[in-house]
Amino acid sequence: MMTPGLLLSLALGVGAPAAGTYYADVVYTGDGQTLERCAVTVADGKITALTPGVSPKDDAVRVKAITPGMIDLSARVANSPYSVEETYEVTPDFRVANTLDLFDVTWERHLQSGVTTVMASPYDDNCIGGLSVVLKTGGAKDVEKRTVRADAALRGAFGSQPSSRNHPAYGAPDDIFSRRPTTRMGVEWEWRKSFFDALYAQGELDAGTKVLRRALTGELPVFAQAWATQDVRTAVFLVEEMKAEGDAKMRLIVDCGAEAWREPELLVRSGAAVVLAPYDHDGRTTDGAFYALESAKTLTDLGVTVALSSHYAAGPGSVLGAQAGYAMRGGLTFDQALAAVTINPARLAGVDDRVGSLAVGKDADLALWNGTPFELSSRVVGVVLDGDLVVAPE
Amino acid sequence: MKNQVLSALSTTLAALAIALPAAAQNGDGNLVIKAGKVITNAGETLENGTIVIQNGRITAVGKDIEYPWNAQVREFPDAVAFPGFVEAHTTRGMDRANENIDVAAFLNVRDSIDPVNFYYEDALRAGITTINVQQGADCVVGGMGYVVKPVGMTVEQMTVRPNSGLAMSASPKRGKSRATQAQALRRAFDDLHRYLDETVQEKKEGKDYATREAMFQGREPDEETAKGRPMTGSAWKVEGLELVPRWELDEKQAPLLSVVEGKTRVFLFCGSPMEVMTALSIASENGFLHRTVLVLDNSCWKAADAIAERGVPVVLDPNLMYVERDPLTGEEQRTFVPKVFQDKGIEFALRSAGNSGQSLWYQAAICMANGLTREQAIAATTTVPAKLLGLGDRVGSLEKGKDGNVVLFSGDPLSVRSFVQNVVIEGNLVYDRATDTRAMHLDSGAQPDNTAPYDPNGDWKPHCCDDPTHEHVVKTDEGEDPQEVEEAPAKKHNHPVDGDKDGDKDKDADKQGEDK
Amino acid sequence: MLHAILFASALALGGEAPAPVIMTGGEPEAAPKVVTAFKAKRLYLGDGRALDDGMLIVADGVITAVGKDLDVPATAAVIEHDGVISPGLIALSSSDGAGGELYDSTRIALPDADAAHAFRPASHDFARERAAGITAVVLTPDERSLVGGTSAVVKTNGGVVVKRGAQLALGLSSAALHDNEFPTSYDGALRELDRLFDDPEGAISKAAAGNLPVLMSVGDRAEIQRALAFAARHHLSGALRGSYWAEELAPAIKASGFAVVCDPFDVGDESRGARSVKALSEAGVRFGFGLDAPARHPDCLRFAAASCVRAGVDPHVARRALTGDAAQIAGVGGRIGRLARGLDADLVLWSGDPIQLSSSIEAVYIDGVRVVGGER
Repeated sequence: MMTPGLLLSLALGVGAPAAGTYYADVVYTGDGQTLERCAVTVADGKITALTPGVSPKDDAVRVKAITPGMIDLSARVANSPYSVEETYEVTPDFRVANTLDLFDVTWERHLQSGVTTVMASPYDDNCIGGLSVVLKTGGAKDVEKRTVRADAALRGAFGSQPSSRNHPAYGAPDDIFSRRPTTRMGVEWEWRKSFFDALYAQGELDAGTKVLRRALTGELPVFAQAWATQDVRTAVFLVEEMKAEGDAKMRLIVDCGAEAWREPELLVRSGAAVVLAPYDHDGRTTDGAFYALESAKTLTDLGVTVALSSHYAAGPGSVLGAQAGYAMRGGLTFDQALAAVTINPARLAGVDDRVGSLAVGKDADLALWNGTPFELSSRVVGVVLDGDLVVAPE
Repeated sequence: MKNQVLSALSTTLAALAIALPAAAQNGDGNLVIKAGKVITNAGETLENGTIVIQNGRITAVGKDIEYPWNAQVREFPDAVAFPGFVEAHTTRGMDRANENIDVAAFLNVRDSIDPVNFYYEDALRAGITTINVQQGADCVVGGMGYVVKPVGMTVEQMTVRPNSGLAMSASPKRGKSRATQAQALRRAFDDLHRYLDETVQEKKEGKDYATREAMFQGREPDEETAKGRPMTGSAWKVEGLELVPRWELDEKQAPLLSVVEGKTRVFLFCGSPMEVMTALSIASENGFLHRTVLVLDNSCWKAADAIAERGVPVVLDPNLMYVERDPLTGEEQRTFVPKVFQDKGIEFALRSAGNSGQSLWYQAAICMANGLTREQAIAATTTVPAKLLGLGDRVGSLEKGKDGNVVLFSGDPLSVRSFVQNVVIEGNLVYDRATDTRAMHLDSGAQPDNTAPYDPNGDWKPHCCDDPTHEHVVKTDEGEDPQEVEEAPAKKHNHPVDGDKDGDKDKDADKQGEDK
Repeated sequence: MLHAILFASALALGGEAPAPVIMTGGEPEAAPKVVTAFKAKRLYLGDGRALDDGMLIVADGVITAVGKDLDVPATAAVIEHDGVISPGLIALSSSDGAGGELYDSTRIALPDADAAHAFRPASHDFARERAAGITAVVLTPDERSLVGGTSAVVKTNGGVVVKRGAQLALGLSSAALHDNEFPTSYDGALRELDRLFDDPEGAISKAAAGNLPVLMSVGDRAEIQRALAFAARHHLSGALRGSYWAEELAPAIKASGFAVVCDPFDVGDESRGARSVKALSEAGVRFGFGLDAPARHPDCLRFAAASCVRAGVDPHVARRALTGDAAQIAGVGGRIGRLARGLDADLVLWSGDPIQLSSSIEAVYIDGVRVVGGER
């Protein structure tokens, strides 16, 4: 029986040492290196040394394997309607950071499962919901202190969800939902209109337009939920159109992407990346989209950058590590699967200078495993976050 | 709805049409399997081993062993041979798992098993070769289950062991409270007692009501039942039962009599720890504790001490992680259920979740990740369930004399990267992944010609699996039901959001009466 | 209708400058004083202190002296009470006696709404409160409004408004977020509040300038954090309304200088509420108790304090929370909440310690007038 909450509070309570050594039979650095019998030394929250081919010291925490702390760009840590301002369909400058509840159990679940960095995005009830933030899953209960990158992406959604509450003005109560869009076509229209308006806005720009301009120039990636084929296509076509119209550097990251496997060439052509939804229910997902087990492989083989996600980290089979396992079941190699939960998402979110791989000088975020990473017969038993052992192996 | 059923059926048929002929073609039950690795699950693992199956039974397992010159030999140099997994208890694979009357001991799943149900195909794909199909837990006393293999076009062809045990439930359903459920369960046995007393009394008085009723119902005596015999069993007895020829006993009561006489296994469902106490006491009072297998909700680990004390084996809920949230701190506390039972020395079997990605191989792997040894995890999906079903001498390992069931995995059976390549049941090759169109579709989305189009929403039934939102709030007040809490901050409205949006799953699963 | 409103306003105004002459500082007036001397086994002074075998002199509704062995004027009536006397209890965050008119659902921000206008002195609600020993309540705008207006401290007898514009009520909990109108999100609510406070008008400008305390409704822990950050951004002071989840954040609340209006308890509530109050008390945060009346019975106020004592809160602190500290939080500490010279003679005569639930109320005085209890 485990009581992680207790473990965590004990670990924090005793003031875990700022310096420490973690030893594993195998250390996977996340950027292609596999170091055997390796000690990872950390001090002041950073990795200070990786020493392979050594014997463990007595005071080292010893486990079977160490990977970088994992990164989940679609962690759904703010999955409440209160995280998006539904009064308008397009709210580019609203910040999800102001709506986070660090006391929610979802954070703890992600941390326990070895996910040390997540992107938090507004709930997908708006076409363009607002600004996502990248932050650590543990540490001080303070959003600012945990933030790795503020305004990391512009979040929005295609498909049926943004329009699901809207209704035509007639025959219905006159509330904020008496409005467009009521179809996925309308959702697309809202996106296009917003970007065109931003592109051609004159004079002093309002906050929303400024954010949209940052997305148009590629400074902010557009992180858009799209499950079904038609929604993936819509997202890609829209971004391609805007690139043609404005700045060619605009970036798209498709979130969920259940049917992205049907359009790999399109994604390659547009340079879009994909954050895949967790694999479950034999591939049956939202919006009637069918999610093939080999999605990650199909996309990776063609050169699309793929990251994996776990959404709620609800149980042993849905944590991010298990998702990497399922991606391997679908044909991904171990190194590709590892990259899809570490360095790939780090790059997509623009935080690879701090997290996503194990290297001297990077944040000391480690996942400690009791066996081969990503096999369902092993799991994360310990977590180091910013150099602190926040989940101690039993 | 009808369309969905039809389309599901046609997909099944299309898949079976390709998968099954193999079984029909070489149906003689003689096969020699050579595999790169043979995990016998009986103490040894052989590199390049051979398994000889004759007339559906294993006659030899070893390295470099002899086999008949004319035997059909199949070589799987890259595969790992493994005894099939044993599903100790499922309510799937049937046309509706539940009946809506309280005491229905006369029912038999034989009459509702659906041989072309998707479930059996999925079972093969997951390497499950033996399945105990039981009625759902809506009845207080349900009907008789069957142990089947997931191959065959009729129930008879599928049968491994008929009448594997009677389903009972201590868990209130259909508007009952826990108290009325317990009372109804007890009363089923009181009614039996009274019925037997009355029948014996009538015989003593020379009345032939029972004979006439039996004839009226169209029953006929056979050699076994033509005569009466004294009541056996350990709990209570009705003197003079030998006066009543057994064939004359009401068929509504006879299965329960068999239970009290200790002749029938009972699968007794408990939805909460306190129901475990009820179940154990009713089983003791009526003399079938030694024939009882408890089928448990995942909260029932809290009654593990009581279960251990009585030495009763259990079948665990598919959701192996018990999560409760402390209402005072908001913190989640997690208990890995199989570890509790392992540590208490209770025999336990695992069950598949309702989703082929989380079948028995998955459950065993999760057990390993959470502190069980590999041997313990595999036993809970093979030898232990075999023993619980009284099939310890027939399935669960690759040994001489056992059924010729062999699953050939592409790698280690518990690895997330391994697939079931072939399945041999009773010496017949019944599954080949190379021709499994549904597997092709699941993997790559491919839709081979001449197969029914895949309907993503057609037959989808979400199931309760790893779902910590199925939470139980710690309540100090014993009188109250554990309440389920919504996980996210109160939802203002419902959206057709993600398939794995948790809260709904439980409800749907409940609605179907699945696994409950 | 209009007449009724005017009438109510007149009454309220009348309360602010009470018609009966109030003696302050003991300056002699022509009219003869009504003087009463109270003697009791113990006086709880409302500031955490107790005085055994104490005395209290009240002249024309005002306390003129507190002490031992005081000289009793010859004209004074003497009431010897074989028990305990405390200041009248003060219920923060109440809507009793406001006829459900503290929430304007048509506007999310109504900073200049004045709860005193909803005050219905004749409401039967006040009889219940008097019987529970409550002599003053703080009528508080509803937490569903982003800016609900200002609260008013009123007496439960005599139509007296002790103070209007006492606190500016802000909604920072999910209760202020709406399903189908702005704001639906925390960020939307914060932006609107930031906008209002960046360019303040009316009551908001008073609050922004530090001349009006704010009362910020909060629920969960994240809401407490968000509220404190908002207050720091705009240099606000005042109190948080809602304590259930405050436990871990007690040090942060202390550091912010905010007081807390604690959620009331019912019998059978989880112990977390009391634990949070204990944590606040240990961190040295000033707190009082809200009374969700009429949803809750006024007796819950005293019950809440008793529950906290059971959870480990110092009884003196708990008594203070019901009286002196509550008055401080509502900004009326100079007028009610303590037994001290010059303060209103709002008294409760108990059979025993007020936070002992076995203690009963034998009499209640408001402005020196006996409002509960048989004899005069």
